[in-house]
Amino acid sequence: MAFRILALFVLFALPFEAAAQRIVADLSSREIQISTGFTGAELLLFGATEGAGDIIVTVEGPHRTEVVRRKERVAGIWVNGASVTFEKAPAYYWVASSRTIADIAPPKLLAQYHIGAERLPLVSRSARPPEVVAAFREAFIRNKQAIELFGSGEGGITTIANRLFRTTISFPANVPTGEYQVTVYLFKNGRLVSRDRTPLAVHRTGMEAQIFDFAHDEAPWYGAIAIAIALVAGWLAGVIFRRS
Amino acid sequence: MQIYLPIAEMSLDALLLLGLGGAVGFLSGMFGVGGGFLMTPLLIFIGVPPAVAVGTEANQVVAASVSGALAHWRRGNVDFRMGAVLLVGGFVGSTLGVWLFTILREIGQVDFAIAVCYVVFLGIVGALMVVESVRAWFRSRNPQAPKRKLHYHTWMHGLPLKMRFRRSKLYISALLPFGVGVFVGILAALMGVGGGFVMVPAMIYLLGMPTSVVVGTSLFQIVFVTANVTFLQAVNNQTVDIVLALLLVVGSVVGAQLGARMGARLRGEEVRIALGLIVLAVCARVAWTLLAQPEELYSLGTTGRH
Repeated sequence: MAFRILALFVLFALPFEAAAQRIVADLSSREIQISTGFTGAELLLFGATEGAGDIIVTVEGPHRTEVVRRKERVAGIWVNGASVTFEKAPAYYWVASSRTIADIAPPKLLAQYHIGAERLPLVSRSARPPEVVAAFREAFIRNKQAIELFGSGEGGITTIANRLFRTTISFPANVPTGEYQVTVYLFKNGRLVSRDRTPLAVHRTGMEAQIFDFAHDEAPWYGAIAIAIALVAGWLAGVIFRRS
Repeated sequence: MQIYLPIAEMSLDALLLLGLGGAVGFLSGMFGVGGGFLMTPLLIFIGVPPAVAVGTEANQVVAASVSGALAHWRRGNVDFRMGAVLLVGGFVGSTLGVWLFTILREIGQVDFAIAVCYVVFLGIVGALMVVESVRAWFRSRNPQAPKRKLHYHTWMHGLPLKMRFRRSKLYISALLPFGVGVFVGILAALMGVGGGFVMVPAMIYLLGMPTSVVVGTSLFQIVFVTANVTFLQAVNNQTVDIVLALLLVVGSVVGAQLGARMGARLRGEEVRIALGLIVLAVCARVAWTLLAQPEELYSLGTTGRH
């Protein structure tokens, strides 16, 4: 931590290069550990720019195949009907900016860099009409926002003296494990002038990690132990309460 | 006190889970039922993924049934021969049930299947329970009313593979308890219950077993069938959360003992009417989720893994 802040100061000491304006950033921690008491995490993202500009930060989580299902009414009962599968969809996505994103850069540029949840390249091989897939895509984002895995903080980045900036990123308790990518963009007059990337890892640790790994790697043993614990607990309870 | 559940992949209040276990344990001790049919919907209601709720609840029912089964065994209230036949059926049924569960999960219909099972079986059993115990209650007030015939002879008694069940004083086809076992096994796997609420009436009215051995034999069978469901859910779906199960077990064993003491003071028919009404209430609550227009029509699914 101290080293990173020191590194920032070193950066400022470097001679100014007007042609290649730079942006650098780092996180208060480059990993999130999920342990017994985990209720979510907040990370501080901080950084510096060379000169004034507009800043956008995106955090994109592990990519995987996600299915969106739509309920339909069949004989008065709501049942899952049509579904659309999105390949390589981010499990987590967060975007923040120093002011309204639409004012920072033209839509074409934002689309090119996939900035904003609605501009993510959610690819589907579905044969359904594009407008139907679009409705599923919107529903995907809406559902992710509801469980706080997609979020945004437009205007949430505070800048100090047009040089330093900071913002907090929040991760809910159900944050998926895996590799994350934090990207900071520096825009000036609607043009992208610099970009910096920082990796972030989310993983389970301690007993939580051991139980999860054991349940997936040694499933038969896990099952047997679960049964043994239940048998002993039930038997023990019977013995204790019979005596009392 | 929030605790992270490693398999459910979410954090819940440990005290809430202990309390939930205690409350359901109290009711199950009072009414002499496993409580799975109350616990699974409650877990789903507080946000546990349905697949994890079902898998974990099977594990909890093992613990909830074993002390009762041992107590009945000591008193000689278990018909082991009948239990063994039920158990063979139970293993076949629960294995079939977990296989069905895995397929339903892949095609995204498992939540729907769980809900439908709950509505159908709780509806039928709850209604029968209320009607039967209200009748019994009126009979006890009016002793002159004609008594029901105890034993009917139907097509079921013409089935082959007859076996003598000495403890139950029965000479019936082994296919009958086998069939009951298969059916209850499927329900146990799909609903995350022991299945006592279906098996006990089936043993009394379908098989004609004497009530003295019904509860002990049913508990004996439930311990093994739910153990099988736990094992298969852990292997096929990785949906058994040991941390969650342990919290529920601790709460429920304490609650069950207190409930059993309370239950001993109440009258049999009144207890059954109350249980029937609770069963119907759970049924109505689950039915509402199927019939009411959901606020969000779209939902995120899983692709085999959760």
